[in-house]
Amino acid sequence: MIRTAALALTALLSACATITAQPPEEAASELTTVPFFPQEAYQCGPAALATLLVHSGVAITPEALVPQVYLPGRGGSLQVELLAATRRSGRIPFTLQGGPEALFRELEAGNPVLVLQNLGREWLPRWHYAVVIGYQPEGQRVLLRSGTERRRLERWNRFSASWAHADYWGLVIPRPGEIPASGHADNLARELAGQERLLEPALVAATWDAARERWPEDPNLLFAAANAHRVNADTEGAAQLYYTLLMQSPQHIPARNNFADLLLQAGCPVSAERLIAPARHATTVLSSPIADAVRQTAADIARQRAQVTYDPDYCRALTQDPTLP
Amino acid sequence: MLTSRLLVLLQITAFLVASTVGTAQAAIIGTAEHLTDQNRNVQLAQISATLANDTVQQHLLDMGVSPEDTLARINALSDAELQQLAQQLDTLPAGSGALGVLGALFLVLLVLELIGVTNVFSKL
Repeated sequence: MIRTAALALTALLSACATITAQPPEEAASELTTVPFFPQEAYQCGPAALATLLVHSGVAITPEALVPQVYLPGRGGSLQVELLAATRRSGRIPFTLQGGPEALFRELEAGNPVLVLQNLGREWLPRWHYAVVIGYQPEGQRVLLRSGTERRRLERWNRFSASWAHADYWGLVIPRPGEIPASGHADNLARELAGQERLLEPALVAATWDAARERWPEDPNLLFAAANAHRVNADTEGAAQLYYTLLMQSPQHIPARNNFADLLLQAGCPVSAERLIAPARHATTVLSSPIADAVRQTAADIARQRAQVTYDPDYCRALTQDPTLP
Repeated sequence: MLTSRLLVLLQITAFLVASTVGTAQAAIIGTAEHLTDQNRNVQLAQISATLANDTVQQHLLDMGVSPEDTLARINALSDAELQQLAQQLDTLPAGSGALGVLGALFLVLLVLELIGVTNVFSKL
């Protein structure tokens, strides 16, 4: 009875929804290997998150996620806490950038998408997490793992209206070393940079590498990958990346600075000095945190120059500079 | 009870130490720092990290999260997420499920209305 009534209500609410998205012309898809965890009372957050995590290769249950994401005082789970819990499971959360269009790119690539829906109205919101696992073009229906339904079919118009009321918020959790199929380099870079200090250095480096493979020309991704490899104690890999970036854009002062610092720490003060010299002249036009870092690096080089023992062959290899004395 | 409090105190101390030690090496320019530097105008008003941390911690405790879980949950948040929680924790959407208590009540009223048992809405 309640169930039928619920359907009636949802239908009624959707009927007066203001957003009427055109049903998309997309190929049929269904990610049948995505697991299903029926939700316990109010706990669609842990259930939906476990669905994505297990699909990405993590061994976890919704019960184990309850103390990580459930907020008793709100009777539900917040979006940012789903992101935080993803990190605690050793995976990187990426929010979906680009609404329905991006959703279909992810399905095409085999990635289920966790979505936030508002099943109520703006003045009486009912927030719900579900996982989109496919689409049926005939009848225009979205396939969901939702609540207690393993395979829920929802009309596209109804689904997209409820999703639009939650600002098209979606979450993708790729397997380690992979990145979402949708989205732009800038968004991905900002999102990964904002959380990398909370993640395993090796995972972070591998993920920047994946981004670099997709957008080889992007200087921010090269810079980020170089920094990440250095944090992951891969001095040679980092040096190679800084070198590539500086060949491509010699004006990249942060790369020049960080490469110089790397060389100094690696025992190559002469190479470090050669690199930082052009940057020092630019300190007057740079914003202050960057200029401060350049001055600091230059001062470190001047101070430590005499103290380090110097292996010219190693330094020539790191800088790819045969003219080094 | 006493041991769990001691444990929390220890964890707080460990967290504070860890978060201050991590800021050394000013000579290196971090990726996030560089990206923010490129987008100076999009930076939002922020409260101090310590204040944000304390605020969120209190919020989570008030909402029934255990002290141990609270710390672990806060430690997994990025700076931006911590800021967001500190400023809007009460208003952010909390996904709960397809049917809530309020909704059920509203629904019963609506169904009764539709089948003509009551006349609550039509006289408005």
